[in-house]
Amino acid sequence: MAEVFVLVEHRRGELRDITFEMLSGCRDLAKNLNASITAVLLGKNIDNFVEQLKSWADKILVVEDDKLENFNAEAYQRVLSHLIKERKPILTLIGHTSFGMDLAPALAAELGIPLATDCIGFELQDGRLVAIRQMYGGKVNARISFKTAPYMATIRSAAFKAEEPGLSAEVEKAPSPLTEEITTKRFLEYVEAAVGEVDITQAERIVAVGRGVGDYSDEKVRSIIEELANELGAVIACSRPIVDKGWLPKDRQVGTSGKTVKPKLYLALGISGAFQHVAGMSASETIVAVNKDPKAPIFTVADYGIVDDLFKVVPVLTEKVREAKGGS
Amino acid sequence: MKIVVCVKHVPDTAEADVVITPDKKGIKKEGLAFGINEWDEYAVEEAILMKEKYGGEVVAITIGGKESEDTLRRCLAKGADRAIRIEDPALEGSDAYALAKVLCAVIKGMEYDIIFTGAQAGDDGFGQVGQTLAELLGIPHAALVTKVEPQDGKAKVHRELEGGLEEVLEIQLPAVLAVQTGINEPRYVSIMGIRKAKKKELKVLSLSDIGLSPDEVGEKGSLLTLEELYIPPVEKMAEILTGAPDETATKLAGILDERGLIPK
Amino acid sequence: METIDGESFGEKYDLFVCLQCGKCTGSCPLSMRSQLSPRKHVREALLFDNEVVLDKEFLWDCTTCATCRLRCPRDLQPVEVIIGMRSILIEEAKVPATVQEALESTFKNGNPWGRAPSKRDEWAAELSLKSASEGAEYLYYVGCTPAYDPRVQNVAKSLVRVFKAAGVDFAILGNEEKCCGNEIRRMGEVGLFEMLMEDNVEIFENYGVERIVTSSPHCYNVFKNEYEGLKAEVFHYTQLLCEKLDNGLLKLTKELKKKVIYQDPCFLGKQNKIFEEPRKLISSIPGVELLEYDREKERSVCCEGGGGRMWAEATATGERTAETRVKEAVALGAEIIAVACPFCMLTFEDAVKMTGYEGKIEVKDISELLVEAIE
Ligand SMILES: Cc1cc2nc3c(=O)[nH]c(=O)nc-3n(C[C@H](O)[C@H](O)[C@H](O)COP(=O)(O)OP(=O)(O)OC[C@H]3O[C@@H](n4cnc5c(N)ncnc54)[C@H](O)[C@@H]3O)c2cc1C
Ligand code: SF4
Ligand code: SF4
Repeated sequence: MAEVFVLVEHRRGELRDITFEMLSGCRDLAKNLNASITAVLLGKNIDNFVEQLKSWADKILVVEDDKLENFNAEAYQRVLSHLIKERKPILTLIGHTSFGMDLAPALAAELGIPLATDCIGFELQDGRLVAIRQMYGGKVNARISFKTAPYMATIRSAAFKAEEPGLSAEVEKAPSPLTEEITTKRFLEYVEAAVGEVDITQAERIVAVGRGVGDYSDEKVRSIIEELANELGAVIACSRPIVDKGWLPKDRQVGTSGKTVKPKLYLALGISGAFQHVAGMSASETIVAVNKDPKAPIFTVADYGIVDDLFKVVPVLTEKVREAKGGS
Repeated sequence: MKIVVCVKHVPDTAEADVVITPDKKGIKKEGLAFGINEWDEYAVEEAILMKEKYGGEVVAITIGGKESEDTLRRCLAKGADRAIRIEDPALEGSDAYALAKVLCAVIKGMEYDIIFTGAQAGDDGFGQVGQTLAELLGIPHAALVTKVEPQDGKAKVHRELEGGLEEVLEIQLPAVLAVQTGINEPRYVSIMGIRKAKKKELKVLSLSDIGLSPDEVGEKGSLLTLEELYIPPVEKMAEILTGAPDETATKLAGILDERGLIPK
Repeated sequence: METIDGESFGEKYDLFVCLQCGKCTGSCPLSMRSQLSPRKHVREALLFDNEVVLDKEFLWDCTTCATCRLRCPRDLQPVEVIIGMRSILIEEAKVPATVQEALESTFKNGNPWGRAPSKRDEWAAELSLKSASEGAEYLYYVGCTPAYDPRVQNVAKSLVRVFKAAGVDFAILGNEEKCCGNEIRRMGEVGLFEMLMEDNVEIFENYGVERIVTSSPHCYNVFKNEYEGLKAEVFHYTQLLCEKLDNGLLKLTKELKKKVIYQDPCFLGKQNKIFEEPRKLISSIPGVELLEYDREKERSVCCEGGGGRMWAEATATGERTAETRVKEAVALGAEIIAVACPFCMLTFEDAVKMTGYEGKIEVKDISELLVEAIE
């Protein structure tokens, strides 16, 4: 029976959500490809992961090696290329994460396998695999077909829901093909982004600003936003361009390279809704977006939207919120 | 230090409406503003900062039509020493793998210590060209790089991970470093500077100049085929509050109040 | 000091005759609140090397209002010296991030506001205006701020209504319109300015434009005084409409019982001596009582919106001039501050909020007052 490989992603002793999303998201596809699902787990001291993964895959293929302790694309590439050559999975799935982006392209190039990155869905067309991915900041979808099998794809975070299928995987241990030390690339350490005064992940209400606020170092702009946040008892967070400009500290950034937040209210002002941002806030209970562009992707994740200049809307909103507070 | 930086000239679609062409293989370019890919702007700056610190040479490379010389001229004005543009009708329909082959063919005969690329392009968002190029050249790479400190034949490199975490690596040079935005502050370059840079060398090469056959690129030389583009179906759409700012803000405040989202 | 073209500042701006009398600094609206001092900079330009400007962040404080030029007994142009110094900063890439963004956007998008060129004509979507290719007596050059800024868009819309009411035959360039470059030159980006000028002259020629009418005094100024090779005649809208008023084609019939005070835009008043037309338009509205500031016309006070200040946060401390002007207007009993410039509109709207006079005094463009009087 054919196999689908799903690369297990873990960091600092924890399995990452993308692993479960891939394992459950590829079930239909695997069925259509007539393939079983193998979770490929590389690392050191990973027995507890094996337990956690048992109910999610048909098989767990484990390679343990001291050299695999921390993620190192070079080491991973060698092990995976060996496993893929040997077992010839029809499809290999890797997360489109920092880890996967570093690993997958070189691995695919080494093996000469077609790789579609950042996929959000799959179809089979006349027996050939077709991947769905986004372009132009999410304004366009593309259907991309793979010329030859086997296939490789990286999967966008949160593109699939993680639903436990209740399987009981067979566990197979394979010897590590790594014979020598990896010298081209060496992991040194992790560094944590500096911790600031506010923890946006703990906030119940968030007012988030994006590039649409213009110059956030401008005191007027800042005070318009801060006033609303004050009235709402909200913490101010932002999209990455605001951090890149140095206008807010890194720990206020929401999204894949920032924080993931799940507040009761997420009010997005002048944020287009790039998926890297959305990934960090889509689980919020109520999402409201104010954006001038009626086609901004943020409106597809928001519960309520206002298509207008935020500088026209926000001052009135502040006023109305103030009234609502006074009125009861 | 010998540095190569790969750049791309891309349309800005953040605000503009995107219209798909009738053949469904591309988008209408008319009326769109073009410029250097956001990630590449940081890559070029990093390359020039390196040169300013350690001496050496920066070569900027792009694959694209005549209009992409705008982007190369900017790189030259910022401080790149020379530029190369590869153009060939056979390149039409190339996937990221084929484009990496083209870059590899240009670069492999050159001397280099670091090759900078952007971590991804704002138009197609593949995020794979730099890493693929590294594999084809047989050298190491790091993606999503946020800091680079070269030290005799090696470089200490920071990579951005999720959740505000970074990892620090030591990587052997030469290497490909795919740069993440925010790594530096790209400098301004004046139009006069761009005009002055017109004197710098900008070579235009075709496929035969770099020793590739048409079959190795384009649709034939690619592993993926773009079947079609379409506007994504709207799965969920926000309830849009309509009216003048007064009305919309009032409605919204009402909704927030109803949902108990206004602290009292 | 040498200009970026390699000439000496002394020669180029004829600085040797400077008396160091300090009239320029004395008249400068910023010199009291910032280290900006035209007199001192003229002297530095004569005596020092280019390096001395590199750490002078306050050079971005100058609004290019040109009051210093007006007051100089030797007819010197301290403001041009400052612009020349900014050019050095630009070539040395010592540019505030926000100015950098405005310049980069102007190069890429044709406007300093970072907005998509394909959205430039959105304000006119439902107005079915003639496009330049159809030909018309006047080309209405809208300008970046009226095209994109939601508040100032209303000025463009109002102007269109008044033009129509007065029977003006006009067309617009729509998305082909590009920044005029007035502010760009004043931010010291000479190369970009020249590029815009060449592009615009070519566009105007292509459509055989003979008369241009602008919303903004800034566009008017640059077309009229600084564009090389532009054959078309240039008007600020207040000039054109005043002529239509005189000809009886613009009829102001509806009453507006308000006390209105007029803020002279520097680029219309001080720099182009257009003082009467705007006043005449306002005072011809039935019921309007036109008030005057103590300091008006040639002595008027700059709003601090010009010279790139829309994109550069000043180092200046203390009360902004627009706030002072709002307070003065209120004290004089004005109910409306009438402006005739997009930047005055924005700085005054903001100053009304900052001073807490919202609801007490309104900022309106003359075109918006005229609309009320014709409909
Ligand atoms: C590996 C990687 C990781 C990333 N991680 C993150 C991350 O963690 N978080 C993150 O946010 N991004 C991240 N990004 C960047 C992301 O791709 C987008 O570039 C970014 O989110 C865009 O931010 P934005 O929405 O603020 O800006 P834009 O996309 O420029 O959107 C600005 C929006 O504001 C609107 N607007 C403009 N003016 C106004 C106005 N006056 N009133 C109302 N609306 C207005 C516009 O219509 C537009 O929709 C990452 C990218 C990569 C490659
Ligand atoms: S006013 Fe004229 S003469 Fe007097 S100091 Fe200024 S530049 Fe010199
Ligand atoms: S132009 Fe105006 S702001 Fe600038 S120096 Fe002269 S008087 Fe001062």
